[in-house]
Amino acid sequence: MKKRILLILSLVLILSMFLAACQPETQEAVQEAVEEVAEEVEEAVEEVEEEVAEEVEEEVAEETEEAAAAGPDLDPAEVAASLPREETVYIAGLQWSAVVGWNPYSSANNNAMGIAAGSNARVPIFETPYMYNMINGEQIPLLADGPWTWNDDMTEITFTLKDAAMWSDGTPVTAEDVAYTWATHVKYETTAGVGYGDYIDNVEAMDDKTVVVKAKLDEDGNAINPLLLKAYVSSEYVVQKAWTEILEARAGNDATALKEDPALDFVSSGPYTKFYDDDQKVVYIRDDNYWGQDASMWGALPVPKYLAHTIYADNNAGFLALKAGEVDVSQQFNANVQDLWLVDNLPISTWMEEAPYGLTASLPTAYFNLESFGLDNIAVRKAIAYAVDYDTIIANAMTNQSPTFDQVPRSVMNPTAGEQALYDQEAVADLQWVGNDIEGANAILDEAGIVDTDGDGWRELDGQKLSYNAVCPNGWSDWQAAMEIVAAAGEKIGIEITTLYPEWGVYQTVFVNGDQQEYDIFMVWSDGAGPTQPWGRVRQLMYGQFAETQGNWNGNWGGYINPRIDEIVNEIPSVTDQDRLVELYTEATEIYLTDIPSFTLMYRPDQFYTVNETIWTNYPSAEDGRNIPPMNLLDGFSIAGLYELELVNP
Amino acid sequence: MKGYVKYFSGKLVWFLITLVAAFVLNFVLPRLMPGDPVAIITQRTVQGMASQAGIQKVYQQYAELFGTNKPIHEQFIIYIQNILKGDFGLSFSQYPRPVADILKSSIWWTVALQFPAIILGWLIGNTLGALAAYLKKGFDKVIMPVSIFISNLPAFGMAVVLLVIFGVKLAWFPTSGGYGFDMIPNLSWGFIWSVIVHYQLPFWSIVLIAIGGQAIGMRSMAIYELNADYVKYSRFLGIKDRTTIKYVFRNAMLPQITGLALSIGTMIGGALVAEVIFSYPGLGSTILTAVMGQDYPLISAVTLIIALMVLSATFLIEILYGFIDPRIKAAQTD
Repeated sequence: MKKRILLILSLVLILSMFLAACQPETQEAVQEAVEEVAEEVEEAVEEVEEEVAEEVEEEVAEETEEAAAAGPDLDPAEVAASLPREETVYIAGLQWSAVVGWNPYSSANNNAMGIAAGSNARVPIFETPYMYNMINGEQIPLLADGPWTWNDDMTEITFTLKDAAMWSDGTPVTAEDVAYTWATHVKYETTAGVGYGDYIDNVEAMDDKTVVVKAKLDEDGNAINPLLLKAYVSSEYVVQKAWTEILEARAGNDATALKEDPALDFVSSGPYTKFYDDDQKVVYIRDDNYWGQDASMWGALPVPKYLAHTIYADNNAGFLALKAGEVDVSQQFNANVQDLWLVDNLPISTWMEEAPYGLTASLPTAYFNLESFGLDNIAVRKAIAYAVDYDTIIANAMTNQSPTFDQVPRSVMNPTAGEQALYDQEAVADLQWVGNDIEGANAILDEAGIVDTDGDGWRELDGQKLSYNAVCPNGWSDWQAAMEIVAAAGEKIGIEITTLYPEWGVYQTVFVNGDQQEYDIFMVWSDGAGPTQPWGRVRQLMYGQFAETQGNWNGNWGGYINPRIDEIVNEIPSVTDQDRLVELYTEATEIYLTDIPSFTLMYRPDQFYTVNETIWTNYPSAEDGRNIPPMNLLDGFSIAGLYELELVNP
Repeated sequence: MKGYVKYFSGKLVWFLITLVAAFVLNFVLPRLMPGDPVAIITQRTVQGMASQAGIQKVYQQYAELFGTNKPIHEQFIIYIQNILKGDFGLSFSQYPRPVADILKSSIWWTVALQFPAIILGWLIGNTLGALAAYLKKGFDKVIMPVSIFISNLPAFGMAVVLLVIFGVKLAWFPTSGGYGFDMIPNLSWGFIWSVIVHYQLPFWSIVLIAIGGQAIGMRSMAIYELNADYVKYSRFLGIKDRTTIKYVFRNAMLPQITGLALSIGTMIGGALVAEVIFSYPGLGSTILTAVMGQDYPLISAVTLIIALMVLSATFLIEILYGFIDPRIKAAQTD
């Protein structure tokens, strides 16, 4: 008897596996059968229903009214049990765990596809007055109507809001909303409030539609930093005042409660809103009443009805899904991305057909800890930086998804055209090394009298062997590959460099402490593109005030001090004259390349951008002349891409 | 009867002592990890923030909120008070989501995946092992090496092999998720079917590994029992083979039951590999993100569940043994 049960059990399991394998046919057959039964039942039920219907009708009418008043809380499964493939854009690489909230005041939302304020603020749900375009640095009006203006002293930015701009509840977006959003940020000490609080004094509504952003002033009556005001208008969302007041009431005016609120009842102004989310995915649905279809903005609705993001366990799962056509836009580092079309013949492409395939904007950089023995010596720093084989880093670690230092010579600028135009390359050409210059590096050391005195193969400085570690977080494979190449360069020039890969959780508590002695040469990312760049990056690389501070998330982690750099960093934000700007940036670059407090190892995109043209096509690309940046069709002006998409098979 | 009471109460006391020790360790061990979870959260939220004082302020806010700036014994008292109220606190890595909410949404996926897989792997493995021991010859020559091979494949190896063959190359099964990437959960045949299809690869990757180990264990136990004196004696007495075999496998089964209980107890940890490789929702992947993000409350809660499950499983087995095998009770109450 037991044997028989076992046998039956095994058969059932094998059968289920078999059935699962030939899914489509079987599924249809079963579905048909189910549907037939369902129809019969329906007929029978219909008769009874009709009788009851009349009685119920009145009740339902009442309930519906109530429901409508409570808001569009629809049951997603009733709207679309499965998302129509031809109406959905699938994005990957942004959301790595379940969505926890929709609160625009909280910086801990982890709702990455929709809510991410900052230099390239993501705008499918909440909107900023302006959209940043990282290709050319322009700020394009979104909620705002036309460009913003400075007053004569550069202490106030004024802009007006579009008449058409509406909230999802149908009320207009007003200047009072913008002002109240700022007041809320300050009152509840949100990340935006404390982040901009040193630079922005107030945001005021002059009338229904006119907004003035007022700078904090220094002793001389100048704005402390005009660049941060400029950044604010394209970095921070506008939130509805009426809804904010509801949120405040719910939180009992408590700052923690306000920022913890998941804000499921949010009111927003963007083209998409929440539809469905669980541990495996998040889906937004288009708001077909979106104000932006007005001729004063886009003149149309974005093409896809749904934006969906599956939550993958790791990069590899997301990569397989991209290959399978389950992902349309991938913000992941896919090694050897060109193989997808050259070898696998998939309809997949990137921003550019040839290497570096993407638009790089940030500069992963290795910092020298100037407290480490010998690294305060320019010759040692210079020799290491000259000896590193950057071409190999770019070819291996980045699989050529970065321009080489031949193509974009090193400076403090990222490779975008806007930033490259901000310094005089010829003036610093002599200082821009390409790397793998072992001979040159050895000569520098020999000349400085740093030689191997005891014959052990390693050079000594004042009788002490030069020995360092090269550190980056464990599991960051491209960075680890880069650190290996730095170590190899050390060996070639007689400086002992060993690699060390602590876990990220440990790494990021050590390098932020200005007096740490544990890491000698260590990698940190750099600022990408944004309204405050490249000023922000110069400051990040060399600003003296950051040196030797604790809990330093700002920059200059090696502890470099140069009063001239501090003057330059303090001067740039108020400079409007283009020639003067170029002069200052060129000087900063010259100092950076001469003193070498840190050195860039590769260029890297702000967001990786690989698109699959199985379902959708007409994605933004480098040569199409549309100037839509490759930022997932969500960040800043990149969202324009959603209005341009076309179906492959309409 | 008195013997039973003594036996059970002794077990219960040990159960409670171990539970308390596990409870303390669950709290202390994650917090001994090097690193600072508040810094991780701060770093995440202040990206691109220009004001240094602002960044410090954000750090202070979070440290205050999570209580990590208090001495560890104070944190422990708060922790106990909250646990007694059934409050596991807020997750660090998925802040402001409550830990209880995270567990609630993921635990059923793990149980539904692991429990049937462990039971089925155990049943098939033991049957095969017993058959190999009894039938010998050709059957044994095939089962034995195959079982050794399979059971020595690391779990992730098996999962990756299945993923590559059936998911990527043959494309019979989806490579990730608990249900279709284009689905919204609902009570329809299409959705249920999608869940079944997504279930297959992670399920079989666990079953196959379990089969191998169980088969080997059962085979050697059965061979040992088949050669025991009582078997020879009963054959000698002319008792039917069928009856003898029954006794043999009953005896051979005892250690296997312990194995079963333990694998059920540890199923959350065991789920990690299959869940991560197939992006399958569940506690396994939750633990991984919790550890990577130094999410103390979430780690403590998950390890507490694991500790409870293992302890309860072993406790139940000990109790069960008291009944199944009176020798054990007798030996321990002496």
